[in-house]
Amino acid sequence: MHLSEEELSMAKAPVTCLIVDDSAFMRFHLKRMMESFENVIASEAANGTEAIREYGRLKPDIVLMDIVMPGLEGVETVKRICNEDPAARVIMISSLSYKEKVAEAISAGAKCFLPKPVTTEELRKAIEKVLSIATESRVGELV
Amino acid sequence: MRLDFVKIFVDSTALMFRELIGPTVDVPSIAMKPSPVASREVMAIISLAGEAQGRVIFDMDLFTAVQLAGHMLGEPSPGMTPLVRSSIAELASMAIGRAISRINDCGTLIKMTPPTVITGANLISYDQCFETLVAPIATAYGEVRVNITIQDLD
Repeated sequence: MHLSEEELSMAKAPVTCLIVDDSAFMRFHLKRMMESFENVIASEAANGTEAIREYGRLKPDIVLMDIVMPGLEGVETVKRICNEDPAARVIMISSLSYKEKVAEAISAGAKCFLPKPVTTEELRKAIEKVLSIATESRVGELV
Repeated sequence: MRLDFVKIFVDSTALMFRELIGPTVDVPSIAMKPSPVASREVMAIISLAGEAQGRVIFDMDLFTAVQLAGHMLGEPSPGMTPLVRSSIAELASMAIGRAISRINDCGTLIKMTPPTVITGANLISYDQCFETLVAPIATAYGEVRVNITIQDLD
């Protein structure tokens, strides 16, 4: 089916999200939350190494990243993703929410930090915030 | 034994259970034992390292584990599925992660390992005795015993 340019511009692109957590429960839980939002496509990675590979392949709009994972842990994973793509929009979600760890995550490139357990409303607000920061900075770059 | 840290672990665990499982969660009593009291069918174990070291063991019946996981997942589970194991691991991880965050914010740096969940009967035989604080947490789905051992590094 052929779509006109106008129709194409009207079609709203879905927000793509990569959920990174070694816990199958958290991936299930966050995916269900994400899919309760309108027009979101969520995919998953179970560790840092897988996350870097999937980020490169999918270039998602948002990454939800855990910290405590076997092997490559979350903060180091964020650092590597953001080194490759400084525009990456990462939201850390972890029960380890002490000041030093939050600062470390933000310094690594995360745009936002949510302590577990996270509610659907907290997640929605964080995503809106991170997407709006990115949009503002893109507008700034264009100006 | 760092009793000040133990109190933080008990309080954080009870609070996390109340948030995730419901307001009826209670800690009726706590007791000091010469070694961990963990002999039920499901255990979640987290090791602590850093400026203090130790171990936390969550111990519960299979029925309790499956019901708690069902509550967290928002749907009943037929038995001890991988998702149920993961739910119990995450429940323990969130409780201990929160406690560690409070302790770290007070200036003692502690790290935790990802939780290990073990299922079966009489799985662990303790060949070493560690003074352990045992806190039974009463939930609507049965009791979860939390065994906490934590000491400063000398």
